[in-house]
Amino acid sequence: MSGAESTRRAGPPGAAQLARRAIELWAVLGGAVLVAVVLVNAWSIVAGATVNRPFPGDFELTQMGVAVAVFCFLPYCQLAGANVTADIFTARAGPRAVAAMKGLGSLIAFGFAALLIWRMSDGLADYIRYPQTTTILRIPLWWAFVPALVSLALLGLASLMTLSEQLRALRRSN
Amino acid sequence: MDQSLLIGLAGLGVLVALIAIRVPIAYAMILVGGGGVTLLNGAPIFLNQLKDLAYAQFSIYDLSVIPMFILMGALATQAGLSRDLFRAANAWLGWLRGGVAMSAIAACAGFGAVCGSSLATASTMGKVALPELRRYNYSGALGTGTLAAGGVLGILIPPSVVLIVYAVIVEANVVTMFQAALIPGLLAVLLFMATIALTVAVFPKSGPKGSRPSRREFLRATAGMAPVVLVFGAVIGGIYFGLFNPTPAAAAGALLVALYGMARGSIRLAELREALLETARTTGMIFLILLGAEMLKIFMARGGVPQAMTAWIAGAGLEPMTVLILLLVVLILLGCLMDSLSMILLAIPFFWPVIVEMNGGDLVTAADAAFGMSAQELKIWFGILALIVVELGLITPPVGMNVFIISSLAKDVPMRETFLGVAPFLAVEIVRVGLLIAFPALALWLPRVLSG
Repeated sequence: MSGAESTRRAGPPGAAQLARRAIELWAVLGGAVLVAVVLVNAWSIVAGATVNRPFPGDFELTQMGVAVAVFCFLPYCQLAGANVTADIFTARAGPRAVAAMKGLGSLIAFGFAALLIWRMSDGLADYIRYPQTTTILRIPLWWAFVPALVSLALLGLASLMTLSEQLRALRRSN
Repeated sequence: MDQSLLIGLAGLGVLVALIAIRVPIAYAMILVGGGGVTLLNGAPIFLNQLKDLAYAQFSIYDLSVIPMFILMGALATQAGLSRDLFRAANAWLGWLRGGVAMSAIAACAGFGAVCGSSLATASTMGKVALPELRRYNYSGALGTGTLAAGGVLGILIPPSVVLIVYAVIVEANVVTMFQAALIPGLLAVLLFMATIALTVAVFPKSGPKGSRPSRREFLRATAGMAPVVLVFGAVIGGIYFGLFNPTPAAAAGALLVALYGMARGSIRLAELREALLETARTTGMIFLILLGAEMLKIFMARGGVPQAMTAWIAGAGLEPMTVLILLLVVLILLGCLMDSLSMILLAIPFFWPVIVEMNGGDLVTAADAAFGMSAQELKIWFGILALIVVELGLITPPVGMNVFIISSLAKDVPMRETFLGVAPFLAVEIVRVGLLIAFPALALWLPRVLSG
């Protein structure tokens, strides 16, 4: 069920290492956004219980923050092979077949990232042209689309990295 | 059969084929869902939906509690709460025959109370308890079997990610679901301990007595449990009694665990980073599946597949109880192939309408209903039953993930032996499902009382 596989030997070493670090850092940044949401909520519960004044807009900050954090996590998930697969039907497949099947998965991930970049940049343009904001703090919704688009670009990069890894594995076992 | 239904059914076939060739389940759902909607409604509508669909799905407020609980569990793992729990349980129970294994079960339950994931519970408790079990010469089968089964408590004892997702699908109240899961979860703890007691009564050598702790050690170990009791009491207790909403409560819990870990020095920058990356892996994986399931749901609904399936089963003239048991068996079988979350997301949108229909519809009164309860209570009861059976997949061959995890920790015990060791617990789980079917009050009583 797991696809976790070390992709450490992806080369050329310099660029791949750098991309790997960037994707990991991006996930940690997403984690920091999540921590900020945690703090807002914790503040809200304490202040709500003691002085009856919860953090203003905690609801919408949670929605927006969690969504942004999730987008930031996606490239790292691809790179770390965290997306669950069902390995049971192909448990006896050889390394070549496995690499080919995983390659298909990377290809779909790349297609998904590309499609969403196209669609969500249109979404971003819509929200800039016809602004929508959150109810209380009046945060423009398009703000959230910017980190989301960066995340999708990194997801595309990550899926290309896993794909090249799998292609190499295909050639190696040739 | 009309054309859109055919396309819908064909889509399900393609989905299974993609999953079978190791396409990540989330991406298989996205591909089939997106492709299917495009076929049925044409590209423009779907492309327009995609502008906002992912953001809308990720920003659903009810789902925001999931990353909070995952973070809390990841921090609890890093903070070493599992070790404290096991030490305390061992001080209480370790001197009994089979007591160290019982302590492992109790500690798993305690960890499950702050963590919503079975795999995390199995791996963290495995690391802590396996060396102790070995030190006291427990048989490999009993030791590893206990831990693999104990891990399941991570999800059976609320908070539980699967339960949150179920509540969102069937539009139930998460708090009510948590309340309903508590007594069945405690029942699992009792039954697991009884299983160990029975095993060591039959095979005394498999689980020798541990040592009796000194009075000082006993008190110290017991005091070590305080943080977990505090966090569980404040967070989950607060949620149960309706004092806090789940998301802020879970956030406060994550913060408390982090502060405790920092205060005792077990969480520093490196551990915090690891907890965040663990949260990233699990959360990203779960939300991508949620997005895929949403796309698939749109496709299936347009194709009319759930309606057709409900009509077909309702027209087959089976007894409601037979249908319920059949659906649970299907869930158990599916559990051999895929993870519990994907399964809940795939199956419940089909199964829930069937169950409601068999009960007599949405508006039926408890007196007229086939299962003797209103649709609201049916939602709760069926959810708890589904929760138990989808988790069985974690400890059954061929892909019992909990068994794999424990096996990777205990390399000297063959996996066959672990599967054998887990078998009695599996049998007990089936008994528990039977008890819940016979006595729905086990799940329904606490929500009734707490909601007044």
